[in-house]
Amino acid sequence: MTIYIIRRVLYMIPTLIAISILSFVIIQLPPGDFLTSYVAQLRQEGDIIDESQLESLRVRYGLGEPVYVQYGKWISGIFLRGDWGQSMDWQKPVKELIWERLGLTMIISLSSLLVSWFIAIPIGVYSATHQYSILDYTMTAFSFIGLGTPGFMLALIVLFVLQNQFGMNVGGLFSEEYINAPWNWAKVVDMLKHIWVPMAIVAVNGTAGNIRITRANLLDELNKPYVETARAKGVKESKLIWKYPVRVALNPFFSTVGWSLASLVSGVTLVAVVLSLQTTGPMLLRALTTQDMYLAGSFILLLSVLTVIGTLISDILLALVDPRIRLQ
Amino acid sequence: MRKLVNRGVSRREFLRVSALAGAGVVTVACGSAGEPAPAAAEPAAPAAAEPAAAPAAAPAAATSQYSEAPMLAELVQAGSLPPVDERLPSNPMVMPVAESIGTYGGTFRRGFKGVSDRWGPTKHVDRLLVWYDQSLNLQPRIAESWEVNSDGSEWVIHLREGMKWSDGTALTTADVMWWWDNIQNNSEVQPGGPSAWMTSGAENTPATVEAVDDYTVKISYADPKPLLPYSLTRQNRDFFAPGHYLAQFHNDLTEDKAALEAAVNEAGLNDWTELFDAKRYWYSGGETPMLGGWRAMNELSGELFEMERNPYFFAVDAEGQQLPYVDKISHRFFEANDVFDLRIINGEVDFQSRHVQTPNFTLYKESEEDGGYQVFVGKSSGHVAMQLNLTTPNDQLREFFNKRDVRIALSIAVDRDALNELVYDGLMIPRQYSPLSVSAQAYPKQANAHIEYDVDAANALLDGAGYAEKNADGMRVWPGTSDAISFIIEGTDAAGSVTEDAVNQIVKYYAEVGISAAYKYSERSLYTAHYEANEIEAAFWGGDRTVVPLAAPIIWTCEQPDRPWAAAWALWKTTNGTNPTGQEPPADHWVWNIWGLWDQIQAEADPAKQNELFFQILDIWAEELPMVGYLGEGPTLIIVKNGVKNYLPGFPVDDPTGDEHLLNTETYYWEA
Repeated sequence: MTIYIIRRVLYMIPTLIAISILSFVIIQLPPGDFLTSYVAQLRQEGDIIDESQLESLRVRYGLGEPVYVQYGKWISGIFLRGDWGQSMDWQKPVKELIWERLGLTMIISLSSLLVSWFIAIPIGVYSATHQYSILDYTMTAFSFIGLGTPGFMLALIVLFVLQNQFGMNVGGLFSEEYINAPWNWAKVVDMLKHIWVPMAIVAVNGTAGNIRITRANLLDELNKPYVETARAKGVKESKLIWKYPVRVALNPFFSTVGWSLASLVSGVTLVAVVLSLQTTGPMLLRALTTQDMYLAGSFILLLSVLTVIGTLISDILLALVDPRIRLQ
Repeated sequence: MRKLVNRGVSRREFLRVSALAGAGVVTVACGSAGEPAPAAAEPAAPAAAEPAAAPAAAPAAATSQYSEAPMLAELVQAGSLPPVDERLPSNPMVMPVAESIGTYGGTFRRGFKGVSDRWGPTKHVDRLLVWYDQSLNLQPRIAESWEVNSDGSEWVIHLREGMKWSDGTALTTADVMWWWDNIQNNSEVQPGGPSAWMTSGAENTPATVEAVDDYTVKISYADPKPLLPYSLTRQNRDFFAPGHYLAQFHNDLTEDKAALEAAVNEAGLNDWTELFDAKRYWYSGGETPMLGGWRAMNELSGELFEMERNPYFFAVDAEGQQLPYVDKISHRFFEANDVFDLRIINGEVDFQSRHVQTPNFTLYKESEEDGGYQVFVGKSSGHVAMQLNLTTPNDQLREFFNKRDVRIALSIAVDRDALNELVYDGLMIPRQYSPLSVSAQAYPKQANAHIEYDVDAANALLDGAGYAEKNADGMRVWPGTSDAISFIIEGTDAAGSVTEDAVNQIVKYYAEVGISAAYKYSERSLYTAHYEANEIEAAFWGGDRTVVPLAAPIIWTCEQPDRPWAAAWALWKTTNGTNPTGQEPPADHWVWNIWGLWDQIQAEADPAKQNELFFQILDIWAEELPMVGYLGEGPTLIIVKNGVKNYLPGFPVDDPTGDEHLLNTETYYWEA
């Protein structure tokens, strides 16, 4: 096991290097560079940009240099100094930007992930064990609606209803007076008043999917001989279900840890855009469209690291949960 | 201009109020009706001796000629701020108010889209040395007055004695010199050399800047530069810099290089110029001294960007109350416009035009009562216009576009009234891309050139131009072939936008005279890359900058390649022929006449003659239709919460005139 883990960790290094090079190159592939969109912005706002200023900016951002030089600067900064570069769009260090937003992002993603599991697993189990009952049909109908409704659409509807019917201040996670206030109890309460909206919206989609997965997997397991055997031996029905087939049916949850980790950071982008949340998703999206390459590159690198680590974790978890899986 | 007179304060009344106040409101060199500026010094001088005709109206403190906001009075009481008389210059600007003298207090809530949208907050505070009055003439602002020699090459600018930065340090010509020596002429901060407006002539010769005394600065250009004041409105970020603050971030000047280097590393930057730049602008965290009405209280990258009154703001109202009236301005972040729209109809936006979407007019209007606000309709500077790239690389198409009759045909082939009704609810006015009717350069002859809908005439023109042959579908073909004439119109408005509706409607009209065209959406940076490579056939991007065209004439003078009516010529012109994509226009082309006329304007000190020359440019436009305009003078919406006073509706909203901030926003106040 230990050797397996060490080997996997070593494999991660070339993988990450390859990913970082690829992502840096891909970010640069579209025509133009950050300056193109920046200058377009400036021009639109009436700044008169003459060639001399343009040249100054180009030198400043090192945009005239070949891609490999730019990449070398960026990656050596990360490894040697922990410096992720400067966001050209935000005019701030990338590290600071990502950290600022990571906390809230994690809270929303993690809590909605947990909420969706806590709701989905019992319902999924109930649906499977009471297949074709009225409640099963009802739950199935709900989960199809949940699956079929895009999160951003739901967000728009919820926003409108909250604003129109309840006069609630929408968008963002705080009321205006608390945004710049230091953290205190009142601010936490204010956040709780707002945070359930994105949490609920994100959880709806996740829950719907998870109900279907749990139900389908459990149905596969329920007819297997070991279930019959246990039942024949007189194991209590509830204990039997929860201890054996459910455990196996949950395998997909563990095997998806790989990308859940990354989606904790980048997930729910569309919902966050619609709700104007200060999370990392919209920032990544923006960084990509404006070709803010150090910010976008750092994000992608971070996401790749999380995915690679997540995959490792999921492999280990699977082995622990399901004794049938052996690590070679 | 005539229209403006009808609203609220007449020009005469406005002048009277200003004159009473003794602020030296002097029509200066560049105003349309202005006298040449030498006269400017005179009226300003007596004003300086008797700083405000305000005594009758400054009841608050008997010992002071001026009064101030309660929040500042408290600080003065507590001893943490000097008294208002010491904070104001000896001759403060007396800002005219549009309706009434105001009272202090309150916040304006607005929305913005983050750091890249910094212009929203910036336009509140970046009105500089001179600014426009209601008739769009330039008036002194931070500058007390100025003089110019007869050919416009030598400018003497007088600053206000005793004026202070927002941290209380005096603003003097030393700050101008600091800016000139350590920013404009520093090869590390500005490797390309001084900004274009501080240079003159074809060679971009830098001006000589000289501090005559603490409050007088002299700028001498090698060639005439009569349009300089337009560069001192808002378009350029500075004319001075707070050297006392910035020196610590300047490698050549700091006393502690090690500390600077540590700060650069700490911030994760590559070299000191990046840190210097980050510290330079007014919005960087609120420390940087500035001159506008409100200073930044926190960082722009946050969810709520707050601005608070600058206690050293240099202007007062006619009763001697220091401006601005409103205590705070807050910009709340939004990512998608839906949230902003909901905030508007929920009454959470107090004064804003930026990001307010004209197509949502009904939505805003419906909720006026519930939200407690009013939607005002201002004049947009934008136009619905087609740019046929006269330099497109496709030879056949290039020849086609370059025939004047073709452009005229494509202009009169479109039923502008129907287009207006179908797409814009009839809110626009059929016209060419032309200065707005409120502009001093309004020119109906050009605005109305070739706008009558006439399909027969259009067909005749196309036939006459040599494109009479048609294929089986009734579409015109390239002479001697069976290939239909067709081109792609690029634009940055995505499917579903009003603009897309408009261009599709226009394409239908083109088809009726046998020309096929198709609209293609390009993401902005792709579009940029296309025009920079001269790969655009035609573009659909409305023309703006039509309020004070002399301040930013680049669309008319073929110097704005993003409105690519001749992309390659514009690239050639703007880079002095160095851009490899640029092309020199044919020797006897009319575009040379436009450039020639503009050169004359740039060297012409007399505003009347400037106008005359500009009209000659417009004559060429009327004749040649370099850009085919369809509709203009459209609406721009401005949301004004009930209770906001001194806002006057009906003014144009255009970038060079500060958008919705044309009438000094510092004088807006909340009705008690």
